[in-house]
Amino acid sequence: MIGPSKALAAGLAVAFLAVACGGSSGTTSGGTTFKGTKKVGISTALTGQSAVYGKAINRGALLWQDQTNKKGGVNGYKIEVIVRDDASDVAKAADNTRSLILEEKAVAMIGAVLSNQCQAAMPIAHQNHVVYIAATCNDYRNTTSPDYRIAEYFSVVPTTYMEATAAGIDAGKKTNLKKWYILSPDYSFGRAETPAFVAALKKTNPSVQILNQPSEWYVPLTTFNFTSVLPKIQAAQPDAIYSNIFAATQTAFINSALQTDPTFFTKYQFTTLSSIDDFNALPDKYPTGIRVYERAPFFGIPGDKIKQFVKDFRAAYGGDYPSDWAVMDYDALTVWAAAAQQAGSFDTDKVMAKLSGGNFDILRGKIRIRPEDHQANVPVWIGTTTRDPAYPFVILKDIVNPKGDDLLLSLDKVKAMQSGSCKNNDLNNCP
Amino acid sequence: MDLGNLLLYTLAGLSLAAVLFIVAAGLSLVFGALRVINMAHGSLFMIGAFVAWFIVARLAGSAFGFWGAILVAPAITALIGGVVEIVVLKPIYGQEHLLQLLGTYALTLVFAGAVRLIFGPDVRSLQAPDILNTAVHINGHSFAVYNLFLMGFAVVIAGALYLLLNRTGLGRNIRAAISDPELLAASGINVTRLFTTVFMIGTALAGLGGVLVAPSQSVDPGMDANTLINAFAISVIGGLGSLMGSFVGAIIVGLVLSYGFAVPQTAPWATAFVFAAMAIVLTIRPWGLFGRPER
Repeated sequence: MIGPSKALAAGLAVAFLAVACGGSSGTTSGGTTFKGTKKVGISTALTGQSAVYGKAINRGALLWQDQTNKKGGVNGYKIEVIVRDDASDVAKAADNTRSLILEEKAVAMIGAVLSNQCQAAMPIAHQNHVVYIAATCNDYRNTTSPDYRIAEYFSVVPTTYMEATAAGIDAGKKTNLKKWYILSPDYSFGRAETPAFVAALKKTNPSVQILNQPSEWYVPLTTFNFTSVLPKIQAAQPDAIYSNIFAATQTAFINSALQTDPTFFTKYQFTTLSSIDDFNALPDKYPTGIRVYERAPFFGIPGDKIKQFVKDFRAAYGGDYPSDWAVMDYDALTVWAAAAQQAGSFDTDKVMAKLSGGNFDILRGKIRIRPEDHQANVPVWIGTTTRDPAYPFVILKDIVNPKGDDLLLSLDKVKAMQSGSCKNNDLNNCP
Repeated sequence: MDLGNLLLYTLAGLSLAAVLFIVAAGLSLVFGALRVINMAHGSLFMIGAFVAWFIVARLAGSAFGFWGAILVAPAITALIGGVVEIVVLKPIYGQEHLLQLLGTYALTLVFAGAVRLIFGPDVRSLQAPDILNTAVHINGHSFAVYNLFLMGFAVVIAGALYLLLNRTGLGRNIRAAISDPELLAASGINVTRLFTTVFMIGTALAGLGGVLVAPSQSVDPGMDANTLINAFAISVIGGLGSLMGSFVGAIIVGLVLSYGFAVPQTAPWATAFVFAAMAIVLTIRPWGLFGRPER
């Protein structure tokens, strides 16, 4: 028989060991008893060029975390989403990914904002065999190029090819717009998306003329002063402008263009990638009548799920509306959790097996992740900006919603890319 | 390129140069007098822009707020500059430049965090007063009146700085600090106060640059880096410590960028040309076009 002091010491020792080993003891939260805690990592841009998107991503992810844990977590485990700021910087995104996987023991990663950040983080996810789900970064080469592709990468965001093709077809249907000027950020996303837009535009309307040479399409990602660019656009006298500059850079461009000519966006038909965060950055000034393609505008998505999400999001964040990025990261976490739940495990191989070829019901509707390239058949929304008194920012009217299945890269092209048969791993150079 | 378009590109380059001159003049003045390379100069530019946004969007509206911001934001950045000079720089004067670089670089991180905490990570935008929010037509194309305002404002600031440096006692002391700091210290001037004053003037110019640039682009927590890089390039080309150097350097950089973007063959290299120009000046005349060699 042991004395009370020895029993207390033994109890303390057991408790200490349980805490020190971590994860083996149950946790209780809000009346729910969990088997333990599992972490999911997100490296995102809370500062820097894309900071405005990071804020939305953070909010969407934390809302998902709270709702999921209230429903009992995943596989009986409480889920903790750890969001780290990468300052829109490539090296920092890689560092965060390494740290989240190795130090925080994240069982899955949700991708960064910028495509080149994802490309830097993917090898780390691969080395550590951790599922990496892209919710925002979308260079089509991430799923196809031998330079970047990893087995652990899954994409629930329309790729550059998908969204640019949708936008290019839409733009090409306006046959009166013959002379186009192109403006794009000079990094992997812009370099992947812009040629796909031009190809789809020209295919839809062969009479289209691109006024500036490909070498002139790109401006540095962090260009905030367009004083030198605007005279060039005016001198070219285009009918229309295509742009996929985004976040702070897009705001700067619109401000600068409106200052140069208040009728700029009437004079030149403008087609651009955008999001609710970009609309919100210029609540009174965002031009109406321009053609915009978006990845997940809540007002264009049908169904009760998104309506409930908007309601919950607004309740959680002081009446703010969720932007595209909040929706997409929420969806990415939903997809991962569903796969882990189906697998009954957090083991990477088992989760990957459920992700590949899996069907998922997310805020944007029902999707399937294609096994050949781990790309989901997510749709794109295209519409014309307009004001609606119900919202404090512009929304879209005349929305078209090309389906993901119609936008996915053909399997022949996927195979050609993945086998390395396309020169410079460029889709336009495939045999 | 016809003459009309050449004029348009020239004006675009000069309006770019206008803000860059104001920011670079502050950087150059501080280096010339204090021998400090202030890595946090871009941060004060950013703070100026955010303060302007706050005044215009939250307090006064664009009609009066913008003019108020032109007065208030530089005053705030000058005060911040004064604190920085007294608390951070004073203890490390006379020590190697690396220590100053690290110290002021640390400040960029502090300011970045502070701006994010105070103003949030969102991209902001503000309106110039209606009178400046119009355009004129040149060669059939629009050109923002605001850009013309920037050019005029930069000339006024250049004139004011010239008068300050050449017609006032403070200016005489600053010039003395630039040309012979040892002699100045021996002549009974309150060098401590002079240095604080110069640093405050420099940071006020950074803040003023932030206010001026805000209506024509976006205001966001990452806006400091590009401007700082260009301001450094201007200061190196023109000569650190030289007002005329900053003026000419800014025009060179503004025109190189504008003409560089204008020509299809050189467009992808436009930014690189600025640094090529800097490298050439450093090779041929390391003290810059209007600077003086370090003794």
